[in-house]
Amino acid sequence: MSAKPQSQYCRDAQKGMGSPRLQASLHSLQNRFGKGAMTLWAEMDDQDMRRRVKQSRMKNLDHLDILLAELAKKVRARGGHVHFAENAQDAIDYTLEVARKNEVKRVVKGKSMLSMEIAIDSALQEAGMEVVETDLGEYIIQLADDKPSHIIAPCIHMDRSRIGELFTEKLGINYTDDPPSLTAAARKALREKLLSADMGLTGCNLACAATGHISLVSNEGNIRMATTMPPVHVALMGMERIVATLDEHRETVQLLTRGAALQKLSTYVSFVGGPSTSDDPDGPKEFHLVIIDNGRSKILADPEFREVLACIRCGACLNICPVYGRIGGHAYNSPYCGPIGAVITPLLDGINKHADLCKGETLCGACKDICPVQIDLPRMLAGLRQKLAYGSDRWNTKQHNPLEAYAFTLWRQVVSWSPLYRTGLKIARLCQRPFVGKNSMIKRMAGLASGWTDGRDLPPIAKKTFTEIWQKKHATAEVKLPMATKEDNNA
Amino acid sequence: MHNQTTFLSAIRTALGETPNIERSKSTFPKLFAAPDTAETLKKIRSRTVTERNELVKILLHNGNTLNISSHIVESLPEAADLVVELIRSTEPEFNYTKHVIMHDHPDIAALELWKRFNREAVTLHTTFSRDRQITDKTIASFIGITAPTIGVADSATVIQLTEPGRPRSTSLLPSLHIALLRRENIVADLAEAYALLRQKSHLDSFVFISGPSKTADIEAHMVYGAHGPRELHLIVLAEPELEK
Ligand code: SF4
Repeated sequence: MSAKPQSQYCRDAQKGMGSPRLQASLHSLQNRFGKGAMTLWAEMDDQDMRRRVKQSRMKNLDHLDILLAELAKKVRARGGHVHFAENAQDAIDYTLEVARKNEVKRVVKGKSMLSMEIAIDSALQEAGMEVVETDLGEYIIQLADDKPSHIIAPCIHMDRSRIGELFTEKLGINYTDDPPSLTAAARKALREKLLSADMGLTGCNLACAATGHISLVSNEGNIRMATTMPPVHVALMGMERIVATLDEHRETVQLLTRGAALQKLSTYVSFVGGPSTSDDPDGPKEFHLVIIDNGRSKILADPEFREVLACIRCGACLNICPVYGRIGGHAYNSPYCGPIGAVITPLLDGINKHADLCKGETLCGACKDICPVQIDLPRMLAGLRQKLAYGSDRWNTKQHNPLEAYAFTLWRQVVSWSPLYRTGLKIARLCQRPFVGKNSMIKRMAGLASGWTDGRDLPPIAKKTFTEIWQKKHATAEVKLPMATKEDNNA
Repeated sequence: MHNQTTFLSAIRTALGETPNIERSKSTFPKLFAAPDTAETLKKIRSRTVTERNELVKILLHNGNTLNISSHIVESLPEAADLVVELIRSTEPEFNYTKHVIMHDHPDIAALELWKRFNREAVTLHTTFSRDRQITDKTIASFIGITAPTIGVADSATVIQLTEPGRPRSTSLLPSLHIALLRRENIVADLAEAYALLRQKSHLDSFVFISGPSKTADIEAHMVYGAHGPRELHLIVLAEPELEK
C-alpha cells in the first residue's frame, strides 16, 4: 500500500477486488448476462428495434412536457392523484403528508432506486413508520443494514452462509444456507408485512402517456403485492420514464427485460392507472403518482448529456463493464452504480463530488454496445472528464486538479519540441534502471508515480523509440513513401 | 396544479421552448400516432383451427421453459378433472384447510367444481363483486383460479384484466394459480396482444403473467415461489371444432 491518502472510491474498489465472494459472483454474472445480452442482440430477428426504441426515447424527451401533462390528465380522470415534485424534499414532504392523512404505520416497498436517490426511507422512519423492502435482495440488504451493489441483483456481494446467519439472527429461524429454505422463510415473513401494510411505495419502470398507466416489472410478485394489498399506493417516477403510446411501451419494456435478465418479459408486468374501482375487493383505494425532477431538467437542458435520460435502467451495462466487474457496486457510492452510475451520479449529485467515477471507467465502449437503447455512455464519460479538466460554469464544476492541468501544459511543450523530448527520454531511461525488476518490468515507482504500480507492473521505457526503429529499418523505403503519397494527392 | 405548471415550465425551459406557453398535444399529432391495428385484429379473428393449434403448441413449448405446467383439454369437464386432481394432491402452504378462490367467470362456473367434493373438506369461493369478505377468503385460499382474457404464444404470457368480479389478488396470493384459457384467446405475439389491449386501455389495472413467481437473489440460485404463486398451471381449453 502506498502512503498517500486514498479516496473512498479507491478504498471501496480495493475492498471489492479483495473479496473472493464478490469476484466469483461478478464473474459468473458477467459471463451469463453480459455475454448473453450481446448474443441476444446479435441474434434478434428485428435488428432495427434498438435503434427505433432509442429514437422514440429521444423524441419523447423532446416532448416531455406534453407527455407528462397527458399522463397526469389520464390518471386524474381515473381518480388518481398526481404530484409534480421539483426536488427530493418536495417528494418526501408530499409522501409524508399522504402517509399522515392515512395514518400509515407500515410501508411496504417495491424495489425503487429513485426512492434511494431521494432518501425517503429515513424520512418515513423518522416520522415513526416501519419501512419494509419486499424484493428479496433488497430485504436481505435492509436486514443486514448494507447497501445494494447491483441494480438488478442487489445482494450479489453476499454469500448464502452470510444470509443464513442473518436470517437466524433477524428472523429467528434455524440456521440453513439452502436458498429455497431461505427464500421460503423470507416469503413467510414478508407475506405478513405485505398483508398488513397501510401503504405500498414503488417506483415506476415505464409510464404510458396515451393510456395513463405506470407499469412495473418484477419476477417475485412483491410489486404486485405492494400495489394490490395496501389501501394506499404511492408511486415515485423519474420524470423521464415515460413513453407516448402502448406500441412504444411494447418495444421498450421488452428491451428492458431482455437487457436486465435476458427475459422476453419479466414474470409480471403490472399496469396501474389509478385507484381501484369501488367494487374491487382489493387494489389501493388511493393512488398517488409522484413525478420527480430532482436534477433531471438540468440534464435535459444540456444537449451533451440529454441522451442519458433515455436510459431505461436495465442494468445491462453493469453486466459487461470491466471496471464494475472487478470493483463491484459499492465503490460507486450511489444508488446507481456501474457505467450508468458513473454518468448519472455526477450529473445528479455533483461532478466534483463524484469525480472518481468517470475517471475510474475505462472508456472501452462495452457499455454502449450492450445498452439496449445504445446510449453513448463512453462519450459522456469523456465529457465529464473534460468538465473536470477545464471546469464548467454550467455544471458548477471546478477544475479538478490544477496541478495536473499544469503538468499537461508542460508536457505539451516538451513533446512538441523533439530535442527536448529526446533528451527527456534519455534521462528517464537512466532513472528507471533501479526500478526494473527480474521480470524486466517496473514493479514499483517512487512518490506520486507509485499509484501507477500499486496494482500492476509497468513495462519500462523501451531502449529505442518506435521512430528510431522505423528510421533504421526503413531507411531506404522511406524515400519512396512520401513521393507515392504526393502523386496520389496530385491525381 | 401549481406545482405542475412550474414543473412543466422548467422542462420547456430546458428544451429551449417558451417556458410559460403550454404546448398542446394537438399541435404534435405524430407524437401519439400509433399504427392502425385493423389488419392485426382481422388476422387474429380469422385464424383457422390448424393455425390456432399451432399457437397452442408454441405457447406450451415456451411456457415449459418458464416452468409453467401446461395441460390441453378438450372439454370443460376434462378441465374440471384436472383442477380436482390439483386440489386433491396439493397441500395448503399457509393454512391447514383447503380453500379455493375462483374468479366470477362463466367458464370457471361451468367447471361445476362444487359438485365434486362431497366427502372432503374443500371450500370453494367465488369472487362475486358484492362479497365483502373476498380479501380474507383469498388470503385463506391455497389455489386461485382465473380465466385470463388473452394468452400470448411467443412470450408464454397470460393477460389478466382487473374487472368486476375478477380482482387482482386471485392470481397472486394463493400458492397455486390455475389459469383456464380458451384456445380462441391465444394470440401469436405481444404485438397482437397489445392491439387487443388498446381496446381495454381504459381499465385501471391489468397484468401480464409469464410463469410462477421466482427469485434468483441468493447466489443466483433460481427459486420458485418468492411472493406470488409458486406454481402456474395453464389449462388450454381446445374444444373440437364442429365440422362445417
Ligand atoms: S445505460 Fe443502457 S445498459 Fe445501462 S442501465 Fe441504462 S439502458 Fe441499461
